Amino acid sequence: MSDNDMNEREKTAMTEEQIETEDVSDANRGRVISDSTDEADDVLIETGPTAGLDDDKPSRGTGQTIVESRNIDVWYGDDQALRDVSIAIPENEVTAMIGPSGCGKSTFLRCINRMNDLVDICRVEGELTLGGKDVYDENIDPVALRRRVGMVFQKPNPFPKSSRDNVSYGLNVQGIEGDHDEIVERSLKQAALWEEVKDRLDESGLGLSGGQQQRLCIARAIAVDPEVILMDEPASALDPIATSKIEDLIADLAEEYTVVIVTHNMQQAARISHKTAVFLTGGELVEFGSTQKVFENPDSERVEDYITGKFG
Amino acid sequence: MAAGEDAVGRLRRGSGLRFEQLKGRVFEALLIGATLVGIVSLLVLFGYIVFDAVGPLAASPRWYLLYFGTLVTPTAAFTLYARRRPAVRAANARAFAAVFGGVVLSLAVYAVSDALSPYDVFIYLVFGGGPSVSIAVYARKMNDNTFAGPAVPVSMVIGVAVAAGFYDVLRPIIGTVPRWITYIAITTVPVAAITGWFAAREWTTRRGLLTAGVVVAGGFAVAGGALVSGIDPSFWVVLFSGTVVPVAFVVGSTAATNPEGRIGMLGPFVVIGGGLLGAVVERQFGIAGLDSYLTPTLLLNSWDGLNAANAGVYPQIVGSIIIVAFMGIMAIPVGIGAAVYLEEYAPATGWRGRLASLLEINIANLAGVPSVVYGLLGLALFRNTLGFGTGIVVAASGTLGFLILPIVVVSAQEAIRSVPDSRRRASYGMGASRWQTLREVVLPEAVPGVLTGTILALGRAIGETAPLVIIAVATTTYSAPSGLFSSATALPLQIFASAGNAKPEFRTGVVAATAIVLLALMILMNAIAIVVRNRYQKDD
Repeated sequence: MSDNDMNEREKTAMTEEQIETEDVSDANRGRVISDSTDEADDVLIETGPTAGLDDDKPSRGTGQTIVESRNIDVWYGDDQALRDVSIAIPENEVTAMIGPSGCGKSTFLRCINRMNDLVDICRVEGELTLGGKDVYDENIDPVALRRRVGMVFQKPNPFPKSSRDNVSYGLNVQGIEGDHDEIVERSLKQAALWEEVKDRLDESGLGLSGGQQQRLCIARAIAVDPEVILMDEPASALDPIATSKIEDLIADLAEEYTVVIVTHNMQQAARISHKTAVFLTGGELVEFGSTQKVFENPDSERVEDYITGKFG
Repeated sequence: MAAGEDAVGRLRRGSGLRFEQLKGRVFEALLIGATLVGIVSLLVLFGYIVFDAVGPLAASPRWYLLYFGTLVTPTAAFTLYARRRPAVRAANARAFAAVFGGVVLSLAVYAVSDALSPYDVFIYLVFGGGPSVSIAVYARKMNDNTFAGPAVPVSMVIGVAVAAGFYDVLRPIIGTVPRWITYIAITTVPVAAITGWFAAREWTTRRGLLTAGVVVAGGFAVAGGALVSGIDPSFWVVLFSGTVVPVAFVVGSTAATNPEGRIGMLGPFVVIGGGLLGAVVERQFGIAGLDSYLTPTLLLNSWDGLNAANAGVYPQIVGSIIIVAFMGIMAIPVGIGAAVYLEEYAPATGWRGRLASLLEINIANLAGVPSVVYGLLGLALFRNTLGFGTGIVVAASGTLGFLILPIVVVSAQEAIRSVPDSRRRASYGMGASRWQTLREVVLPEAVPGVLTGTILALGRAIGETAPLVIIAVATTTYSAPSGLFSSATALPLQIFASAGNAKPEFRTGVVAATAIVLLALMILMNAIAIVVRNRYQKDD
């Protein structure tokens, strides 16, 4: 897809001020592409905790913050899941969230598109903004919010519908006009699934393999052209080959979308992310910075212990 | 060496293990026994009923030989032939479904329309179905479902209300038309539309219109033929629309699309032809047949409490169908609605959450309340509070509706709960609203389960006796109910009443034959529902 196409699509969905931001990003893109043409294809071979860390990771980031949280606290009933989390997630980059089980990283992810609203006992305090707007403002409709923030889940969860209907689901429920067949094709191509399913678009999405299902879910998420894509351990249920496909895909997606990914796999975070946030037990955000810095020279001793495997 | 022998020794079938295995075998045998108790007692029960109903001892050996030759041998030969040919088997199944489904459906439609008056059915069908079907077709054609969803049910309700409001004006106008023309309107025209739609989908719109035209013309031809021969065309019009047209359509399309299986469509005709041939020979040669109470007389006559050979349960059959159908119309939407609310909307926390869980527990308990108690509820509500007449259809349907409501709610809840949460999350994550998630993801997946529960509930309702006794439904009526406010009776009540008849042939023969009719009605309903359910599951 050419950049022109992309702009056409984005402009229809964005507000005026966002188009201005987009213009800035175009200027940035040109510059960044020129100095980072080497793709990190060989990263899978390396296995150390800092594997895949290049000195200049390819990034088309705009330098703008798209999601920002200030002093977020989350409770499930009486249990506090997140403590005073403040973070600024940059636009058009991959931000990874790592940490041991139960540290609140998935909870934070679900705060961004208010999926936590579906949990009755969950209570969120603090401020979380998307493009400068507080998403917990009472004027914000969570349904409208989720239309701008796509989500890919840990377990592939396609609907028991055909592959075509799976991808066009968001288009239908959001009432997006246009040639749906064309958007389906484009999304499946972006999700690197088109070649595998183009001859069986009308067969059930449940008949695909696990890795294909997950890419179908990614195609479903990007078909509606969201601003941010949240991924909750998208590769944890997949085999290594499927995982590497998903990782390549995430790198491609970061050219057009802001990706926030929760992962248990530190090598994965090192390979694919520009920024890394480390949550540790108790729901604290202990460290947040460029992936390289966090993995090579973390400020916190606890983070260093966690990354080197002494703890967690 | 020694260690190796030890290992072998441990693997050998030792006496300690043998005892464990013996225990396992005994346990398995006990379980098989427990399973067989159920099956054997069921077989004995059915055997007993059938024995009483058809009196097999009265038939001479020649009778058995005759039907063995005309019915059993050809059917068995045909089954054997079809067994290893899947195409033939499939065609056979389709033909059977078309022939027997068509006959049963035609009979039921005719019986119910005839009882309620075809003019009324026509008025409500036109006003309730006309606008909503047009809206649905239009929305499909324009590919715009934004308003069709709410507009279809709303227009249906408004249409029925308008029809009820203007009934007094409409009825005399419609009443000037001969009865058989209303039957053409309520059976032939919809059947023509459906076959035409199928044909249009298969071939071209032109052929679709042509097919529909042929069907309507056929309906008029049948009616004309009947009028010329001096008989009432109504029943023949219904039989033509409900049986001949679907059978012709299925036979024609199978013959065209499935040349290998073509011969399989002879299946039902082998059975019917064999039965008819047997009957003709039996009468011609005066062969002593069964001493059966399961005869056309039983199905078509009204009750005769003095002469068992003349007793029929036609009003009871129609009453049962109408009571259960109206009950379903009232109770099923309410039950499914409550289940959807409790599963998808009701909060889990706070005082409203506690209220919802209290409700849920109580509904589950209500499912176990004895049916007699529901009879008391119906008596208090319909007779004493609302002052309805004794034993009318509305009261019977309402009482049975309360009875099945908790069953419908609980089973629908279970079906909705079995839809994985990950699907809901996926839908919400795509920016779908709760209603969209419900309509697009949850309900389509829950439909087979909801239908299963609903069928079980209908099966329970059609056999209920005690609540109907309590609300004083008559055990015997001599004509089918003519409307929702006319008095009716049901099959189980007639069984209950005639089990106490002074004459022994009632207590054994008629009761058993009526029980078989009731069971057949129930199996038929289950069969329809299973077909519908399998269709939905296949579409996934």
